[in-house]
Formats: sequence, structure tokens, C-alpha cells
Amino acid sequence: MIERISNVNRINQIQNQTSDGGKSSVDFAKMLSDAVEKVNSLQKNADQMANDFALGKISNIHDVIIEAEKASVALKLTTEVRDKIIEAYREIMRMQL
Amino acid sequence: MLNEFLTMTVSATGMTAQRLRLDVIASNIANSETTRTPEGTPYRRRISVFSEYLLKSGETRSSGVKVSRIAEDTSPFRVVYDPSHPDADENGYVQLPNVNVLREMIDLINAQRSYDANVSAFNTVKAMINSALQIGRG
Repeated sequence: MIERISNVNRINQIQNQTSDGGKSSVDFAKMLSDAVEKVNSLQKNADQMANDFALGKISNIHDVIIEAEKASVALKLTTEVRDKIIEAYREIMRMQL
Repeated sequence: MLNEFLTMTVSATGMTAQRLRLDVIASNIANSETTRTPEGTPYRRRISVFSEYLLKSGETRSSGVKVSRIAEDTSPFRVVYDPSHPDADENGYVQLPNVNVLREMIDLINAQRSYDANVSAFNTVKAMINSALQIGRG
């Protein structure tokens, strides 16, 4: 629980980074592509596990299911973030100048 | 990686350990009447020994579990009088494995319940993630 609370400090850090004129070292596009890459690797992992299971290389069913669950949760999170970004983009495009 | 994934991995180690424990119990039950082994003695009951298994993701640490070794029960063998048995000694007594099938059945139920508990923990983590994704939808 304490770790969850400490995450709030990270949000403050982000605010500090953006307040110094966007000079933060983390590139948003790179961060996004890294995240997508991670999700993709989880999907590949789950795929590989399913393959191995079909080939009889795996003795524990739960390992396969858990990998698949991890991949599906990660994908869900990604789509959720994407929806938020697109929503923000639309909001800006709708702005009257 | 997400901390939640670490929790999932912890549950996975629990399930794997209980599966292995089930294997050990199954072989105890299967060999409850075995009088011959490569060591020349009747079958000895085997016990799986669990130990803590540290998992780490970034700065977060969690304790999973693993079966560190499979020990042998050193208690004495059951001795039964049965002169017709091919492995009976000159007095007609046969040494049978130190496996108590009733006790193995209880361990079996225990293993199943522990496995179920790990599945429940896993499902709870999944439900928490799903409700976290619902934040701001209402």
C-alpha cells in the first residue's frame, strides 16, 4: 500500500518535468513505442506458451493460462491509454480558434 | 513490469508448487503396497519441502514459493504377517511402505485447496486490475 502512495510522488515528478519547458529527457513517442513493444512481447510470450503446450512441452496448464491473462490485461491497459490519448486529441481539435 | 504481474507470478509459483506436491502424493498412494525398489527396501513415503522463493520486479520484491527438495520419510516400515507373500522373511513377516493412505488423502485435499486458494488470489488481482481500468468510466 505504501508503494501505491509513493506513486503519487512520481506524478509530481512528471509535473516538475513538464514545468521546465518540456526539456525532459523522456520522449513521449519513445515511451509509447516502448510500452507497445512490452505489450507485444507479452503477447508473443503467451503465443509461444500456447504453442509449447500444444506440442506437449509444458506440463503445467496454469502457466499457459497465466501468461495469456497477463497478455490480455496488458492489451486492455494499452487500449485504455490509447482511448484516453485520442480523446484528448479530439478535444484539442474541437477547440475554437 | 506492472507490480500486479509480479503478484500473478507469485500465485503461479504457488500453483506450480502445489502441482508438484500433488505428484508426490500421487506417487505415495500409487506405491502404498510396493515392496521392491532399486534400493532393495520397500517404498519410502516422500514429502515435498517448500521454501521461500524471492521474486523481484524493479524495486518491488515478493516471496513466491518453490519445492526445494523432496525428502524421504524415515519412519519405520509397516510390518505385516503374511507368510504367503514372496517378500516375506523367514518368520513370515513382510515389510510394507510407511505410507498411510488415509493421511495421503488428507494431504491430497490440502494440496487441492491450496491450489484453489492460489487461483483465488490470482483472480482477485485480475479483478482489481479490471476495476482499476474502469476508473473514470462512470
